[in-house]
Amino acid sequence: MTFKTILLATAAVLSAAVLPHAANADTSGKKIALSNNYAGNSWRQAMLTSWDKVTKPAVAAKKVAAADAFTTAENQATEQAAQIQNMILQGYDAIVLNAASPTALNGAVKAACDAGIIVVSFDGIVNEPCAWRIAVNFKEMGRSQVEYLSKRLPQGGNLLEIRGLAGVFVDDEISAGIHEGVKQFPQFKIVGSVHGDWAQDVAQRAVAGVLPSLPDVAAVVTQGGDGYGAAQAFEAAKRKTPIIVMGNREDELQWWKKQKDANAYETMSVSIAPGVSTLAFWVAQQILDGKQVKKDLTVPFLRIDQANLEDNLKSTQKGGVANVEYSQADAEKVIADAK
Amino acid sequence: MTIFNTALSKPWIWSWLAALATFVLTVLFTGGASTFSLGQATLTFAAFSVIVGLGQMLVITLGPGNVDLSVPATITLSGTLALKFMNTDASLILPGLLVAIGIGLGVGIANYGLIKLLRIPPIIATLSMSFLVQSLAIWSNRGLRIKPPDELSAFTTGMTLGIPNIAVVGLTLSVAIWWLLDRSIYGRWISAIGQSPFAARMAGIPVDGTRFLTYVICAVLAALCGYLLACFSGGAALNMGAEYLLMSIAVVVIGGSAVAGGNSNVPGIWGASLFMFLVVSMLNTYGFGAGIRLMLTGLIIIAVIIAASRRVSAR
Repeated sequence: MTFKTILLATAAVLSAAVLPHAANADTSGKKIALSNNYAGNSWRQAMLTSWDKVTKPAVAAKKVAAADAFTTAENQATEQAAQIQNMILQGYDAIVLNAASPTALNGAVKAACDAGIIVVSFDGIVNEPCAWRIAVNFKEMGRSQVEYLSKRLPQGGNLLEIRGLAGVFVDDEISAGIHEGVKQFPQFKIVGSVHGDWAQDVAQRAVAGVLPSLPDVAAVVTQGGDGYGAAQAFEAAKRKTPIIVMGNREDELQWWKKQKDANAYETMSVSIAPGVSTLAFWVAQQILDGKQVKKDLTVPFLRIDQANLEDNLKSTQKGGVANVEYSQADAEKVIADAK
Repeated sequence: MTIFNTALSKPWIWSWLAALATFVLTVLFTGGASTFSLGQATLTFAAFSVIVGLGQMLVITLGPGNVDLSVPATITLSGTLALKFMNTDASLILPGLLVAIGIGLGVGIANYGLIKLLRIPPIIATLSMSFLVQSLAIWSNRGLRIKPPDELSAFTTGMTLGIPNIAVVGLTLSVAIWWLLDRSIYGRWISAIGQSPFAARMAGIPVDGTRFLTYVICAVLAALCGYLLACFSGGAALNMGAEYLLMSIAVVVIGGSAVAGGNSNVPGIWGASLFMFLVVSMLNTYGFGAGIRLMLTGLIIIAVIIAASRRVSAR
């Protein structure tokens, strides 16, 4: 081996080591996969649409090599674990994960980490320590509703609580937040609590069933996807419409707008934008880029108030959910905020 | 006393007694103030369960192994496509209804096609069909909610002489199905097939034709329910049918129809549907937590089924 070949080899090794740190070129060969457990409601559909909308241009601009979305058919943890195993074999560099269970996928996630794959979970997060978590502060989401109501109704009043799907982590968290809020603002009293399963028709049925037995209700605290159904039930029972906190669905916003125009009805709406999948995508890209990212990040809420109702309604797809897609810069900001 | 005994010997009486008891208990909580409004809410929501329950009842009557698991997907697809077709245009209400019925016919024919031509057991056939149908619903509208025409929405949420319109529709369909089951030759055929398919075939009953018709009726009723439900709740949702899989089977069983087939009744479907709505309302009214509520619901249902089935076997 001559001195010249050694020099060349060294140069090659050096350039290989140095080049990945150049801007924009570094993750262009990386493949990211989305592992999604469920697609059967409008929120998840919007989530998948957002993913497409953001990742397609990102792939075209060579930010990453691929960003494929996969959804399991049965919403089963075992099925999703198998899906993750397949992704490991297919050689993805990062897996963005909306998990069917916070614990049941830990084995598969650990296997992925051991294979050198970056796993970023969001919305439905996993508690395996090697994965990143982009979590929603559901408790705060519940508490902030009561805080808002305390400003609107300083004298307090009766609350009807509409919960989500019984036995699901998210439902327990939001409800705990609401009860915390009621403790903080004791002028409120929860007089009824029903499960609406985050669906308008189920919420409508549950509220219609319990309403005849309730005293005057001043406000309804919700979890999203159930506000319009509650409004319908109050209307059908010919009762005074209380302040119903909405959950960013288009039909809820539409109804709110109609009431606002008719009788200056005032409320607020809060939920998580389905576009959070794109935030997870950019976070995964940043990690692949070699950025130092804390394992636990928090998703910002998407809150709609009386003033920006019209703007949000305009940008929301008919029949869909109010949404924002996140950019690379947004991801950098979320990462920086967590430090 | 004889009237009392005759009444007690009817398998459906228990679901009615249970519905009445839960109603009284719920109303007592408010000191009687809620009688009227609770009655109206119950009739409305029970009617949806009745409409799907009637179809499922006919299928279950066909005997062991016969059940239609594609009911929820059919509800979703028919609600989604019919509303998309009408696109809030009131002049398309009738064509929209035809679209819904057409979807029911299509799903029913496809269901029986899988069962008969490919010799797949009904449970597997209707389950796989439900995946196809549900995917079609997702693909066709991506879960976007389109509002029903105002007139139709007013009709489905409205009342005539204090009785919800939906309940009137449910009652009309019930009378039709009761006639089919109790008065027509078709009803005797499905009962005969449910009791012994072999004997029925030997007796010259067109077994295939009868089963085919039954699966089609079931799917059409589910589609009709989807159409009405979507209009009632202000738009179709991808998971709107999910509730009605267990519900449709539960109302058949609680209503005193034989799970093994061959013996069904229409009044029990109503008693059970009223009861299923009331039991949730009652437990909600008394403010039980979710865990206790689900447990009590299960226990109460088991109790009613035991009571109902004991009477049947004692006859």
